[in-house]
Amino acid sequence: MAADKAGAEQPFTISIPQAELDLLRQKLVLIRFPDEIEGAGWDYGVPLEDTRRLIAHWKDAFDWRAAEADINLLPMFTRDIAIEGFGTLNIHYIHKRSEIAKAIPLLFVHGWPGHFLEVRKLLPLLTAGSPDHPSFHVVAVSLPGFGFSETPKKPGFAGRQYAELVNKLMLSLGYDEYVYQGGDWGHAVGAHLATHFGHRNLKAWHSNMPLSDKPKLFSHPIAFIRNLFPHDKTTREGLQVTAEFLSKGCGYMTEQKTKPQTLGYSLADSPVGLLAWIYEKLVTWTDSYPWTDDEVLEWVSIYWFSRAGPAASIRIYYEMMGGGSKDRLSGTKWTSIPLGLSYFPREHWRLPKSWGATLGKVVMRSQHDKGGHFAAFEQPEALADDVRKMFAKGGPAYGVVAGKDGYA
Amino acid sequence: MGSWARPFTVAVPDADIELLRKKLELATFPDELQGAGWDYGAPLADIKRLTTYWKDSFDWRKSEKAINELPQFTTDIEVDGFGSLNIHFVHQKSKVENAIPLLFVHGWPGHFLEVRKLLPILTSESPDHPSFHVVAPSLPGFGFSEAPNKPGFGGFQYAEVVNKLMLSLGYDEYVYQGGDLGHVVGVYATNAYGNKHIKAWHTNMPFYRAPTLFSNPLLFLEMLTTPFNTRMQEQFAAAKRFRTKGMGYFVLQATKPQTLGYSLADSPVGLLAWIYEKLHKAVDKYPWTENEVLEWISVYWFSRAGPAAPQHMYYGLTHGNEHDLFEGTRWTSTPLGVGFFPGEPVRLPKSWVHMIGKVLFESEHDAGGHFAAFEQPARLAGDLQKMFGKGGPVYGIVPGKDGYV
Repeated sequence: MAADKAGAEQPFTISIPQAELDLLRQKLVLIRFPDEIEGAGWDYGVPLEDTRRLIAHWKDAFDWRAAEADINLLPMFTRDIAIEGFGTLNIHYIHKRSEIAKAIPLLFVHGWPGHFLEVRKLLPLLTAGSPDHPSFHVVAVSLPGFGFSETPKKPGFAGRQYAELVNKLMLSLGYDEYVYQGGDWGHAVGAHLATHFGHRNLKAWHSNMPLSDKPKLFSHPIAFIRNLFPHDKTTREGLQVTAEFLSKGCGYMTEQKTKPQTLGYSLADSPVGLLAWIYEKLVTWTDSYPWTDDEVLEWVSIYWFSRAGPAASIRIYYEMMGGGSKDRLSGTKWTSIPLGLSYFPREHWRLPKSWGATLGKVVMRSQHDKGGHFAAFEQPEALADDVRKMFAKGGPAYGVVAGKDGYA
Repeated sequence: MGSWARPFTVAVPDADIELLRKKLELATFPDELQGAGWDYGAPLADIKRLTTYWKDSFDWRKSEKAINELPQFTTDIEVDGFGSLNIHFVHQKSKVENAIPLLFVHGWPGHFLEVRKLLPILTSESPDHPSFHVVAPSLPGFGFSEAPNKPGFGGFQYAEVVNKLMLSLGYDEYVYQGGDLGHVVGVYATNAYGNKHIKAWHTNMPFYRAPTLFSNPLLFLEMLTTPFNTRMQEQFAAAKRFRTKGMGYFVLQATKPQTLGYSLADSPVGLLAWIYEKLHKAVDKYPWTENEVLEWISVYWFSRAGPAAPQHMYYGLTHGNEHDLFEGTRWTSTPLGVGFFPGEPVRLPKSWVHMIGKVLFESEHDAGGHFAAFEQPARLAGDLQKMFGKGGPVYGIVPGKDGYV
């Protein structure tokens, strides 16, 4: 097919073959646990007690078929998207339309170790129609290598390619102009998307993980000056948290951006290895979210049963960070499309607010007192509220999509 | 100090061998990018090939039998604040009564068997070179030694274990050889017991913290003139490459060894890949056989404390990546010999070795890498023989034990 065309949309339901479930069960029965240092708590990683309990639950109580049936109630699809130099990738996504015809098309992009289901709690909120707030048609994609999307076969699939892919998806759905919400890799993909398709297709974007470089004198003089002055207590505490994350919480990142294949063998072969790897983030990156064992296992099962396998997802670190040699925003530039930023207190990147100015034209900043890294999952009402405020009548990005202001 | 040493033989239960086989049967592999080579980590073809060999051809019992030809023992060592740890070690005496007692300490992902090829050379008798009594322990958490089960086991504790081991064997004064974490433990050991018990030592991975203006002004100034010094630039470039591309395991193990440990304890393929990547990258064209690789990995898989334990040493040495590997140590006057091996990836400018100790011996080799004792045993043993031999810079450093008949 021509490079600028996408294939036909196919409805999609998850149907993991019984053989896969059987193999998982066989592995769970043979799990060999390590020891643990006395009184370890969370000091060295996931506590043994948590892991044992979760494995027992996965083996004996967790009902994947029930979870699968529930997920299949969501409107899911796949279609082939052609990416220059990479052939076609079959991409999985949720597409939920609002009843409001002029709802604003919104693309939601997850990160790692997130997935497409992070949008689940937002869907009813964002697609709801009301005279008091705008409504959205929501598209939530599984990034290549995640969920039920194919993974790239060749090296070099990076920022430009992710932007091209998600943009083509929106175009293929008839959304020539749209807005965007993301955190984690969704934030980085948003920055690349704004760089390549800002104004033309992407009209505004929102991030709940405002990660950026610090302002430079000539590019952002006001923010630069502001950054020179002693920060207030909250900002200082935030920088402390970030520093702590960089020295103690970045081991996974250092490995994934340099040797994802080596790590991948463990994640593909060991359910407890994968569980611990992801669960550590689910707990340490959230704001005391009261995870149920079922929630955790459903989350991890998406990775275990993913189309490309759990090892594929971590390659995004290597590809986006140049095998350890560059940062994830390399190749992006400041654009003037409206940008909204939400600050959640337990997000591990807690940089001075003035730094957000280097990402784009910040038209809205929203500070919260609850919630962490997985904002859409932990604080869906708060996040949906931010997005609605940004695009509401009287809001800073009202009517950015021509003819679709989100109201009846 | 320690109870009497008991003879030890490796005897992995049948059930453990059977469990390994069952897991290998169920091995699930990831995909791989086209043309990835070694860029993203251990290649799929290698790991598949090694897994198949492990499952269908590798004979652990045969390896075990050969390992048990080595004189192995265990003994309880009391560590201040940590109770008693049962420590496994090889102890090969020379026929030369006044042989020099030598403590050999492995690193990660190494183990006690790295001493194997050195033993016949070092314990041999000759009028032309000194002989050694060799002690090679499994560090706590490695091989068949117990692992510390309380938090805070750091550099000085590892040093205490190996020093007390030597004292328990009647070796009040001895010499030391180590690379990788064996070198790090050597730094702590010479800081705590240098000159008193450790009379001299040798490292094949001379590494220490960078010089500062106040710690080593001359070396610091030399570092500042790097742009004009191409040799230093080359050495820095290699070190930088390792730092940007090869440090993932280090940061992870120094911060979240337990999280990583679940994978390594449960998945033989995961453990294989984790270690094999280092076995391949850190050597100087060593022609690993499948059998050698799988025997090496099997020691980790069947280890007493399990494969999750060894990585905690990185956390212990750096207190969870709060400081570098050498916290609390400084230069000592204990005579030091350095072997430079061309394939050693952890390289610093040669002049920096003087920050570690009183360098009396330097040897530049033209072959060999990180696992010098395993790759180039004759060359490494040669360093020790020259260093401690008649006419060498530390001949007779252990009173009454010059290594000759």
